[in-house]
Amino acid sequence: MDSLSQKHIESSSLQITIILMAALATTVFGFLAIGIGSSEKLGFLNTAKIILGYCGGTPTDFDIIWRLRFPRILMGVVAGVSLAVAGALMQGCLGNPLVSPLTLGVASGASLGASLAIIAGVSIVAVPELAIVANSFLFSLIVVAIIIQLGKYRSVSAESYILVGIAITFICGAIVSTLTYFASDAELSQLTHWSFGSLSRTNLVTTVLITVAIVILLPTAMVWAWDLNALSVGGDEFAITTGVNPATMRRNILILTAFMTSLIIAFTGMIGFVGLAAPHMARIVVGNDFRKLIPCSGVFGAFLMLFADTVGRTLFAPIVIPVGVMLSVIGGPFFMYLLLARRGR
Amino acid sequence: MTDFLSVSGLNFSWGENHVLKDVEFTMQRNEVVAILGINGAGKSTLIKCLNKILTPKSGKILIEGNDLSSHDLVSLAKVMSYVPQTVRSSFSMNVFDVALIGRRPHIRWRISQRDRDFVSQTLRYLGLEDFAFRRFNQLSGGERQRVIIAKAIVQNPDLYLFDEPTSDLDLKNQVSIMKRIRHLVSPEMGDKSALIAIHDINLAARFADKIILFDDGKVKSYGKPEDVLTEQSISDVFGVSSMIMPREDDSSKIHIIINNEIEEREYVMPKIDIIKSAELNINIGDKEE
Repeated sequence: MDSLSQKHIESSSLQITIILMAALATTVFGFLAIGIGSSEKLGFLNTAKIILGYCGGTPTDFDIIWRLRFPRILMGVVAGVSLAVAGALMQGCLGNPLVSPLTLGVASGASLGASLAIIAGVSIVAVPELAIVANSFLFSLIVVAIIIQLGKYRSVSAESYILVGIAITFICGAIVSTLTYFASDAELSQLTHWSFGSLSRTNLVTTVLITVAIVILLPTAMVWAWDLNALSVGGDEFAITTGVNPATMRRNILILTAFMTSLIIAFTGMIGFVGLAAPHMARIVVGNDFRKLIPCSGVFGAFLMLFADTVGRTLFAPIVIPVGVMLSVIGGPFFMYLLLARRGR
Repeated sequence: MTDFLSVSGLNFSWGENHVLKDVEFTMQRNEVVAILGINGAGKSTLIKCLNKILTPKSGKILIEGNDLSSHDLVSLAKVMSYVPQTVRSSFSMNVFDVALIGRRPHIRWRISQRDRDFVSQTLRYLGLEDFAFRRFNQLSGGERQRVIIAKAIVQNPDLYLFDEPTSDLDLKNQVSIMKRIRHLVSPEMGDKSALIAIHDINLAARFADKIILFDDGKVKSYGKPEDVLTEQSISDVFGVSSMIMPREDDSSKIHIIINNEIEEREYVMPKIDIIKSAELNINIGDKEE
């Protein structure tokens, strides 16, 4: 075997091992996190014993473990993976490192949907409990659909999508501002609380349903790994002559990421940082080969989310700091450190 | 015998600007064809119409008798590979992985040992083995150009399309790259051909089998360098006088000496009275009387 080929195999194997180790560490951390919470009785050992059936807990213990902690941990993992993978895909297909899953107006659409439900009482579903979730999910998708259609009129370049996305974000922002101007204190408080980003709003059933949907959507992301490599190395013309249709790929990726992101933020509220930072952290470890970058971003996203949520739950227990806030507080400085340390090298 | 590449009645416009006008030419295997012409003559546009970056308004492009319009992008990428003038990366990869992208039209997901060895051998062929695991965006312009050529070779096409391959290179590397291109289309490398848009008239005369002289989006003349590049045609297309003589190292090739005296419109710089800022005496907020 050629020595260069051998070196390439070794370097790829090392990167894949790192991804698998990180996935294992995240899984272990997830199990440990089930044993962390404000209930002093349910520490690591007791929780493990109850889960494994070595000791029977009280109905309250079961409720805490299976109805509160488990859905929260699972939602953290699923949200982290989805937003991070969506971020990696969006950065790749738009050729822009500043892009996150919320850049193209998904967040503004969700905000608009939530504001309409909370302040104006306008909802697409009759069930009040689902009004905010359904509205934010649908409005996110509507906004992305508008962006894809408008992007077509202005050619289908990455810049067109970003510019149209920014314009739509301003329009949605203006409507939300107008609505909040007329909102009562209670409504304003509810909207602010929604916008924080939290993992505590789902129950076991919805979390499992979201997990199933994301598990079905995720493998699709890997289909474009080679194409994203071609696009990010040389742009549209380079990709076309390597057999890639960048316009079709860009549109399909935007549709996939819109679904993944909307589904998550409809239930969690605004969690944006993980979608920007996790792909960049993964890039430091595995480089820009999207065949490894996509899974690595997902694993890092899940870990970031779990870590931030666990700290948020325990730091000032029993007060829980929303994961969206914790992610920015912990992740921001860590992200800056990584970027600066890398530049220093 | 069917021509390897046959282009007929090719037209392309940017809005009202008619860039290619009834372009017609043929190419055979193991040929290097250079396209010469002034800036904006349509050299790059012609190449981009061939590889479907741009869609021609009309015309027919046949590859071994098969209409190009019947090829999807993947099958087209197996037939022709493209080396652009410059490459702008949004996210940089290492050199090995950039070259490996050339295998994309041939594989679905998994990289075989054969694919890796093809990349390794190509990097060695272009003298890039020491850069194989360096980041693409940390290389010089010339090194990057060679990496993109490596990717084009790894694509294993029948036709190489080069858009100004020597424009960013120093004199030594210009000759080196042209020699590589010449070698790539030699019979020992298989039945391959190369179409090159180029500015350097002497590199084209030395390394190309045929020359397409482009003038205002049309093929002014097409044939062997010594037939196409005459003092008259050079004057007509480029607006410069020249002297043509046999090359010292190979008398079958020609060498063109361009006369430095060119006919140029006289530009007159308009005289502008420069007023010192102190003399302007601007008072913000003052109203004009």
